[in-house]
Amino acid sequence: MNPLHKWIGDFVHPPKEARLDLGRRAVLAAGLAGLGAKLLFGIDPQASKRSFNPALIRPPGALPEDEFLARCIRCGECMKVCPTNAIHPASLEGGVEGVWTPVLNMPVGYCDYECNLCSQVCPTHAIRQVDVPEKKKIKIGLAYIDKNRCLPWAYSKTCIVCEEHCPTPKKAIWFEEVEVLNIQGEKLTIKQPRVDPDLCIGCGICETKCPVKGQAAVRVTSVGETRNPENQILLSPGSFGEG
Amino acid sequence: MAQKKKTSWIVWLRRLTQTGFFLLFCYLFLQTVYHPINKAGRGVTFFFNLDPLVALNSLLASHALVEAMLFSLVTLAVTFICGRWFCGWVCPFGTLHNFFTSLRGGRAKQKLAVGGYNQWQKAKYYGLVAFLVAALVGADVVGWLDPFSFFFRSLSTSIYPAINKGLVALFTWIYDANPGVGPVRLTAVTEPIYGVLRKYFLAVEQPYYWGSMLIGVLFISTVVLNFFRARFWCRYVCPLGALLGVVGKNPLVRLKKNEEKCDSCRLCLVDCQGGATPDNPLEWKPSECFYCWNCESDCPAQAISFTVYCHPEPFACHSERSEESPQLAQGKLREGSPQFSQGKLREPSLRIAEGRNCRDSSPRQVGAQNDTALRTETGEKAR
Amino acid sequence: MGLFGSDSLRAVPAPSMSVAHYKSSPAEPDGIAEEARRLTRQAIEALGGMNRFVSKANIVWVKPDIGWDRRPEQAATTNPDVVATIVEMCYQAGAKKVLVSDNPCNPARLSFPRSGIQQAAEKAGAEVIFLDERKFKKMSINGKVLKEWEVYQDTVEADRLINVPIVKNHNLCLATLGMKNLMGVIGGPRNRLHQDLGGALVDLAAFLKPRLVVLDAIRVLTANGPVGGNLADVKRKDTIVAGVDQVAVDALGATLLGYKPDSIGYIVQGNARGLGTINFNSLSPKQIEV
Repeated sequence: MNPLHKWIGDFVHPPKEARLDLGRRAVLAAGLAGLGAKLLFGIDPQASKRSFNPALIRPPGALPEDEFLARCIRCGECMKVCPTNAIHPASLEGGVEGVWTPVLNMPVGYCDYECNLCSQVCPTHAIRQVDVPEKKKIKIGLAYIDKNRCLPWAYSKTCIVCEEHCPTPKKAIWFEEVEVLNIQGEKLTIKQPRVDPDLCIGCGICETKCPVKGQAAVRVTSVGETRNPENQILLSPGSFGEG
Repeated sequence: MAQKKKTSWIVWLRRLTQTGFFLLFCYLFLQTVYHPINKAGRGVTFFFNLDPLVALNSLLASHALVEAMLFSLVTLAVTFICGRWFCGWVCPFGTLHNFFTSLRGGRAKQKLAVGGYNQWQKAKYYGLVAFLVAALVGADVVGWLDPFSFFFRSLSTSIYPAINKGLVALFTWIYDANPGVGPVRLTAVTEPIYGVLRKYFLAVEQPYYWGSMLIGVLFISTVVLNFFRARFWCRYVCPLGALLGVVGKNPLVRLKKNEEKCDSCRLCLVDCQGGATPDNPLEWKPSECFYCWNCESDCPAQAISFTVYCHPEPFACHSERSEESPQLAQGKLREGSPQFSQGKLREPSLRIAEGRNCRDSSPRQVGAQNDTALRTETGEKAR
Repeated sequence: MGLFGSDSLRAVPAPSMSVAHYKSSPAEPDGIAEEARRLTRQAIEALGGMNRFVSKANIVWVKPDIGWDRRPEQAATTNPDVVATIVEMCYQAGAKKVLVSDNPCNPARLSFPRSGIQQAAEKAGAEVIFLDERKFKKMSINGKVLKEWEVYQDTVEADRLINVPIVKNHNLCLATLGMKNLMGVIGGPRNRLHQDLGGALVDLAAFLKPRLVVLDAIRVLTANGPVGGNLADVKRKDTIVAGVDQVAVDALGATLLGYKPDSIGYIVQGNARGLGTINFNSLSPKQIEV
């Protein structure tokens, strides 16, 4: 009997050492553990499609959440390649199932307008490959101004650094010139920033560059993200201008 | 008499390929950055494309597969034939663990005590089953423990930023303190080095990551555990290793022992990376064997070899070794023999009853230290 | 009133400001590159040549606007050929080393190549530097608003500083020109300066004292600045302004966008504090048609 025949024969009658000897019950228990894990993941409020974590801001090009979690292998390539250090391994933003999947952390870094590196490197295309023009049209969230902290709103001081950095061709942050009184009772004309929800793509550069430390006076949350039709606030999607 | 042997050329070749793939991984890691203009550089995607675990999970959970991942079929095909060669020769994470395992000091006896097969090595198979079932119902979390994911993620979010911080701090301190004597300043040496590091190794800007502490601690733990058990991750945890173990449980290339030459010194066990019990071919576990060739290299009597599987029966055989041992030729001891396949000859102890070549009468046990036949020498080279 | 260096004593005072305007407005990249080179060269020659500003064996720090990850035609960054020409002229004047850099708002690794400035400057022989964090040192500015600030050491230690901004709309201060461009030499929490941009920029400009300002107005950004992005906001002015008076150059630059110089805080303050004159016409800028 030549080796090849023997070898093939061993698939039918495996020799002792070729048996893994795992035990049926133990294997069953392992399988049930896997199933149980999925069930437990499924009762996270995120999975209800009613409750969305505002901190779950995914990179532009990310697939809808169920598909994303089914593809992402938490390899960290996107985190390494991101030139602005915006992408971080999630803690519980995406539930337990989402641990170590990529989320954007705006206080540390923002999503550069002309960049699509994360979608270039993702090995499983959980962040699908989008070219830059397409990427610019994807909203990953929406910025909001915290009027209690914003210098022009709360302290009558000039600023609008957020508006300065906003990269959309027609800026998604505009301002109103408002007459306010300062503490001495003098009249000042201050530019107070406002966000345009149609134009804002949630890139986060406003939050990253805002001079108000600790908690920025303009922040991005995930609402309005293009990939999730449920996580919206506007009646109709906005326009993006040219660029 | 056991003697210190020259390491076999195959072991050197293996070390070379391990180092090569490891350096490749590190190079690709460093290349995963922005390249002008707006190009991502070659990611470690090369390794992920070879990874059948990721491909399988992706397929199960998302019913879709990136085409490039079909390359993992090559890995599976070769594993079918050569068992877990991937773990022994290619996997960069495995190489890392291999390296730290080899740093263990300790006499061969102690290594033997902790190095043998352990029932807990089955844990990785259960883990694999759990991951696959979870993927089947849509939860693709194998990325938590897939070796390339684990390695890359730990490097990118924890280890590399930490090393970067340390190096920059060192060179900044020297730059600021500017030590030296008169016109001779240390910075004249350190600044050019810093320039080279900045160009080829250091990050453009210091990266910071949420959750880096946990990821870093986990990584360091897996590395440190190698001092507790050889190649701890590979043996006990790695789901890719488990998958390859399942696929490779009946390889074509098998360990073969010349029973005549063997004098049960058990040196082959000392440096066995996978805990595959190479000293007894009936108990050799192909699912745990990394084909590292250490046993073959360490055996002073050159009793061990890896060949294409050959039946030891008196039937014609292509291997040149079959004539050497009359016991083999009688074919009573091998599982391929008619008696065995009829379920009569199973226990290794039957060998003893035959009064044949194995002097060690007890079944393989972890920590069997009272074996007087064990021969070691001080300063036994690791690995 | 101009601010002359000690090495510019002449019998007949050379003009302290020049405005070079291109007669045509080429559309193709090669044409624009040619325009940039000729305009820059002529504008500086009209001031007496680069020799007036750069001496032999000088180390020159050229500070263009490389602040944003934008292409040259989007007019968010200085025209690369303007920068390259300045580099060339510095070497021709005998400079030992010409350094080109910026502390940008988008990552340098992105903005430097996409703006085209890295490639053009390197081709001209400059050393393009990615700034080293360790070299931002706290320095005494002793200004009205800024007492101390982190400034890049190598810039201050260079023999000459040449400021090469591009003319852009800016919604806070109406326009970003030369003095605003100097923010690319400092570190620290720059995003706080906006609370008193007028005062802070004048302090900075007085501290850094660039030898020469070359204002790129070949393409100007008329809206949604300083980042821009919409090509419709870019207008061709086909002009280069060169001068030694930072306030005057900025004042002229403001008019190119249609703004009155006295509506811009840092120009008014610069004039008031004696940094320069807002009345640029009083300097009799030399007008050249190329």
